[in-house]
Amino acid sequence: MSTEVLAAAQAGVPAPASGARQVWWRLRARRAAAVAGAGLGLLLLLALAAPLLSVLIGQDPNAYHDDLIDSARGGVPTGSYGGISGEHWLGVEPGTGRDLFIRLVYGARVSLLVAIGATVLQVLIGVSIGIAAGLGNRLLDGLLGHLSDVFIALPTLAFAIALTAVVPGDFPRPLLLILVIALLGWGGTARIVRAQTLSLKKLDFVAAARLGGSGPFRVARRELLPSLAAPVITYVAILLPTNIVAEAGLSFLGVGIRPPTASWGQMLSSATTWFRADPAYVLLPAGLLFLTVLAFTVLGDALRTALDPREASRLGVGRERTRRTRRTRTSRKGDPA
Amino acid sequence: MRQLPLISRRVAAAAVSVVLLGGVAACGPEDSDSSGSKGGSGDAPREGGTLTVLNSQPQSDFDPARLYTSGGGNVPGLVFRTLTTRNRENGPAGAKVVPDLATDIGKPSKNATVWTYTLKDDLKYEDGSKITTADIKYGIERSFAAELSGGAPYLRDWLVGGDSYEGPYKEKKGLDSIETPDEKTIVFHLRKPEGDFPYLATGTQFAPVPKAKDTGTGYEKHPISSGPYKVVKNSGDGERLLLERNAHWSDKTDAERHAYPDTVDVRSGLDSAVINQRLSTGTGPDAAAVTTDTNLGPAELAQVSGDKKLADRVGTGHFGYVNYLAFNPKVKPFDNPKVRQAISYAINRTSVVNAAGGSSLAEPATTFLPERKYFGYTPYDHFPAGKTGNPDKARELLKKAGYQDGLKITLTHSTARNFETSPEVATALQEGLKKAGITVRLQGLEDNDYSEKTKSVQQAPGLFLSHWGADWPAGGPFLAPIFDGRQIVKDGSNYNAAQLNDKAVNDEIDAINKLTDLDAAAKRWGALDKKIGEQALTVPLFHPVYKRLYGADVKNVVISDWTGVLDVSQVAVR
Repeated sequence: MSTEVLAAAQAGVPAPASGARQVWWRLRARRAAAVAGAGLGLLLLLALAAPLLSVLIGQDPNAYHDDLIDSARGGVPTGSYGGISGEHWLGVEPGTGRDLFIRLVYGARVSLLVAIGATVLQVLIGVSIGIAAGLGNRLLDGLLGHLSDVFIALPTLAFAIALTAVVPGDFPRPLLLILVIALLGWGGTARIVRAQTLSLKKLDFVAAARLGGSGPFRVARRELLPSLAAPVITYVAILLPTNIVAEAGLSFLGVGIRPPTASWGQMLSSATTWFRADPAYVLLPAGLLFLTVLAFTVLGDALRTALDPREASRLGVGRERTRRTRRTRTSRKGDPA
Repeated sequence: MRQLPLISRRVAAAAVSVVLLGGVAACGPEDSDSSGSKGGSGDAPREGGTLTVLNSQPQSDFDPARLYTSGGGNVPGLVFRTLTTRNRENGPAGAKVVPDLATDIGKPSKNATVWTYTLKDDLKYEDGSKITTADIKYGIERSFAAELSGGAPYLRDWLVGGDSYEGPYKEKKGLDSIETPDEKTIVFHLRKPEGDFPYLATGTQFAPVPKAKDTGTGYEKHPISSGPYKVVKNSGDGERLLLERNAHWSDKTDAERHAYPDTVDVRSGLDSAVINQRLSTGTGPDAAAVTTDTNLGPAELAQVSGDKKLADRVGTGHFGYVNYLAFNPKVKPFDNPKVRQAISYAINRTSVVNAAGGSSLAEPATTFLPERKYFGYTPYDHFPAGKTGNPDKARELLKKAGYQDGLKITLTHSTARNFETSPEVATALQEGLKKAGITVRLQGLEDNDYSEKTKSVQQAPGLFLSHWGADWPAGGPFLAPIFDGRQIVKDGSNYNAAQLNDKAVNDEIDAINKLTDLDAAAKRWGALDKKIGEQALTVPLFHPVYKRLYGADVKNVVISDWTGVLDVSQVAVR
């Protein structure tokens, strides 16, 4: 068993006891997850290929089109639905005439970069601290436990605003956002990993490895990490959408990504006043943000079910629940109203 | 000679007026001079009713000593009469100074250092007692007290002995440079010629304050009215101000104010979006409402101009104001005039105007002085950029300056969302300069940081977005603080960003200040503006235009170009 797990873990694939291939099959069997995954895949592809796309469709994200907006009317796009045309697929931005499609794509780049970067860093910090607390003596455990409690209790947004505001303007903003979001948000991961480590520590194979003379690093790497993969991956699926929203929120408040770099939060922020005059301008970034977060959530839910079907069915999440609710609905239909 | 704390106070007040006037902008049809004239239905305005004023800034410090110059035009003008006042007419005619308590705008001595005023007959306070010149002298003296700060620094700078006077509470003797030979005459002695004195006398510091009723800092709760309304209620530090008709005021002594409504209810502390939404919906008392500090923003203008009924309820105002790019020639490469000229040539004013809210909210500018005769507007365009910039000419100049491979510069702006020094405008400039091979790095600073850095001689960046508004409609307060070499403040708030100290310019400023013929002075300010423009120390970008929405029942809408604000003293709701 353990060789299979190790092989999977070394290949960098989530590796629960049932094997990566089975997880993949179970994931694919759920249509919602497949759609969400495909959608996110497409978004990632668009984001990665943004510069190429920009050249292909001939739209620069920062190019102004003063002829496409009605200057006398506050700069509202001429034409219907926010100035949609063959050239500008999703219309143009009020006040500048910049192409919205390519700006949304570039915005996805920022959102995904910051969210993924922050999540990776959060997991690295969280897992290290969690394992250290779980394996360490009482003093270390208490210290690290309190530390992560403090970070969980911190009002994240207020601290993030303060931190991003005091850092000199020359510091690269995406990196700053990654650091701020990650450093303020690793507490949850650490706590989960610590709890998991404590229960794993009592299991025979870990005890055997420790008795066999393995040091804490070796135990952590060879015995604990493979078993921690499932809960951590599940938690990552929750962290990613949270971090996307955090980035958008900070940019919305004007302390995140700085112009002229496109970002969803910034677009939303300048669009808030336009919701009556140019609804398309608000709906696009808002809709995309909503769909992305929804897709991550659906995928995360499915991943949890796939990684641990027994646990999922016990908790009533995943496919079992859908079936059950469907059955109740049908039976209700028969009732006289 | 001006002292530092005073300068910074002016900065603060200038910043406030920026917030008030530039906070939100929006658009409408471009008929600037006529659109303010019609309001509501066509029949003549009648007395009665309640006028509601919906504002974002509370009327805190409702004390004539503490209000800044232009404060005298709006709500405070209903309660405080001053020696002179602004002409309550639409458009450019409103930028004229006219007598108020005095019989004329002032009799100057030959060199404009002594100014004499005579009061009209039958002037009374709200309690029926007589207004005397001693009360006006006392009102001015109060404004020197440290606890009643907030007014403009000019009195301190101009009056003989003003720089050291500490107010009537500490120095009972009073200020010798203000004489009151009898109760109807008042004489001011200035330490230097100031032809603009009649403009200064419109400030609320020139309102009478009866010494017996003065309660110091508590006076703002119930200042004694000399105007058509008296304060009935002042709560929440000026957030709610209820004014009722003052029975002892008479339009026989006041040619400027009308006082149609019986009651004026000022409600402040509202969000600008809320104000505009309430005005456009206009239910209940909001139908008879106006705002004196909120404009339409670009998005609101887009919405309003799409609705014929709403569009008819939008007035247009102009205020003496310029948004410009400031160079600090002490920083390389802006020491090179060719670089400054190249940037001037490369500016795409169409994009910049759009970023500021579009052609209804901003007029492209190539001159520092706004396009009004009383500022001395003299058209010039030394480095013609056309509508969208002249990148070829800019490249040519850069080549001559040794930057044939392009130029990399930093533009400092604020992150405040004011459509003036904000990221939108900076981004539009960046995009325009790109065409001339100039790569602009944007440095967005938080508002306080921005304000501190750009006004510091030591720290000022080489290139930044800036703006300037005049305290009264004349060229002097527009040009002197920005280009007078003696007004460079080494360790305080400095507005002369270019640190220009040119003897010819300084001498001309002194010479014009001696003129008491305001038209002649305006012409010379215009000529001076044109002359300074040749040095490309600033790149004028645009002059803002204000669009004011008002309620459906509001009649007799007057928006003068002095403040660009809807005049509450003219409005009728019946």
